[in-house]
Amino acid sequence: MIFLTLVLSTFREAVAKKIFLGFFAISTLVILIFLFLINVESVEGMVDMMGAAGDEGIRKLVIGFEVAMIDISYLLIITFCLISVSSFIPSMLEKGNIDLLLSKPISRTNIILAKFTGGVMLVFFSLVYLIGFVWIILSSKSGFWHFPFLYTILWLTLSFAIIYSLIIFIGLVSQSTILSILVSFFLVFIVCPILYVREATIFSLVENNVVQFIINFFYYILPKPNDINKITTDIITGEEVNSYMPVFSSILFMLAVLSASVFYFKKKDY
Amino acid sequence: MSIITTKNLSKEYSSKSFSKEKILALNNFSFEVESGEIFGILGPNGAGKTTLIKILLGITHRTKGEVKIFDNEINTEAYKMKVGYLPENHKFPNYLNGEQVMEFYGKMSGMSSADVGKKTNDLLKLVDMEKWRKTKIKKYSKGMLQRLGLAQAMINDPELIFLDEPTDGVDPIGRKEIRDILENLKDRGKTIFLNSHLLSEVELICDRVAIMHKGSLVKSGRVDEITHISDNYIINCSDVSEVIMNRLMMNFKATILSINEFHFKTDNIDELNRLIDFMRQNNILIRGIQREKNTLENMFINLIGSQN
Ligand SMILES: Nc1ncnc2c1ncn2[C@@H]1O[C@H](COP(=O)(O)OP(=O)(O)OP(=O)(O)O)[C@@H](O)[C@H]1O
Ligand SMILES: [Mg+2]
Repeated sequence: MIFLTLVLSTFREAVAKKIFLGFFAISTLVILIFLFLINVESVEGMVDMMGAAGDEGIRKLVIGFEVAMIDISYLLIITFCLISVSSFIPSMLEKGNIDLLLSKPISRTNIILAKFTGGVMLVFFSLVYLIGFVWIILSSKSGFWHFPFLYTILWLTLSFAIIYSLIIFIGLVSQSTILSILVSFFLVFIVCPILYVREATIFSLVENNVVQFIINFFYYILPKPNDINKITTDIITGEEVNSYMPVFSSILFMLAVLSASVFYFKKKDY
Repeated sequence: MSIITTKNLSKEYSSKSFSKEKILALNNFSFEVESGEIFGILGPNGAGKTTLIKILLGITHRTKGEVKIFDNEINTEAYKMKVGYLPENHKFPNYLNGEQVMEFYGKMSGMSSADVGKKTNDLLKLVDMEKWRKTKIKKYSKGMLQRLGLAQAMINDPELIFLDEPTDGVDPIGRKEIRDILENLKDRGKTIFLNSHLLSEVELICDRVAIMHKGSLVKSGRVDEITHISDNYIINCSDVSEVIMNRLMMNFKATILSINEFHFKTDNIDELNRLIDFMRQNNILIRGIQREKNTLENMFINLIGSQN
């Protein structure tokens, strides 16, 4: 009950900070662009043409749109959600606010978990709106109801949750919103993509075993949102998924960072 | 029955990050608060008053020592159900209105929505904030925030209430109202633990006080015991000669301030009358006698002054 109150307060904070509004505005914009794209002549023509090639053609077209959507929403979540949730922890830690929170009958572990749950649910519902709407438009337009696309909601939420855990940790330690944003962006937009394509890029340049070992080491311990995106795409297109290792190791990363957050929070004086 | 007990409670803060230097915010602090009393902690800035409250509430961890609240060690959160707290410089999420603040903190104390609603009505009325209940708190004045803070501290009908500078920023009428609220809580058997700089106020409402300085307990006891050491009389009179002055000093141990004013300390009213007789016999005109009670403030200043 107390836990739930704290989770819901995260929602209220998001509403108050116009985070929801922002996300709905951006999502709605994406949906409108999408609607527009689907209705332009050339696409209509393409649908007709593909339709002429039978159900298989429609299927390919729908899946093509869906895959594009995954990349778009991934970028959206990272840029928008990360920026918006990164102030949750620092604002909770403000003097005069955290004191009162800690005087309530809820353990510090549960405070962290409630903030985590709140943020993850926030992004989940936003994605339900964005992906759900796109799915309905696409399906009703094409007549091809492709359910696997809805899994994207879960996969993207997972990617978010993994990076959010890091934001919580940095927020706790630094009490700085800016630093939380910077570190998570650096990780998501620079480190992770480079590690994702390390074999094609770095390894072809540097043949030193030690360097390669170190880079592999980082690849395995850090989260792998790009791999998770690839897995999501594979599932939608019906291709076989090579390995779920990136998912498990990323979840492991998340659990480790969350435990570290709880450990740090428990020891700290406010 | 004692509701809070500490034994040799100590707290060290590191003064800067990455530095070995320590600040001793609490130094072997042992005291007890009895159930049903209003207990005041006094001390200059940085004495460790807030630190003490924070340790009692598990917000800050002690370095060593023992703490018992409601006769239990404070290693779980359960006791916080029966506790209310008004932090110094509290900061509620400023996008909430008065009513929502009460609702949030009430539910965070484990109350049901229905109970919170009922209690909110009563309490906002009590602190005279009813007409502001729908206003966002970012529009509140300091005194209004303080009143809301006090209402918030009582939302779960706590057995034990910690108030850190409850009258900070509140006008004199509001302060009187707050005092009445605290008296009323006491009549209902609640225990109140408060920090304050306003000594005259502490004197008015506290049953017992503890004076702390640099993390240590300097003195504690009932307010009337602490303040009533002896009565001091200030006597104004016509100019006295040097001979009389000497006799006043020798026979009556009076402190001469000027040619027509001196202090006389006594508990005994006969002694005072003997002094008056003596003065009248020597044809000294008495212009006025003023009885100066030892206030908590004097006592505090003397005590802390002598420690420095
Ligand atoms: N988080 C902290 N880190 C380091 N030192 C601290 C911390 N909090 C308090 N202190 C130090 O502990 C000492 C006691 O502080 P505390 O806030 O308990 O004083 P106080 O008696 O409440 O003062 P005031 O009357 O000004 O409110 C001070 O020297 C202060 O600098
Ligand atoms: Mg203080």
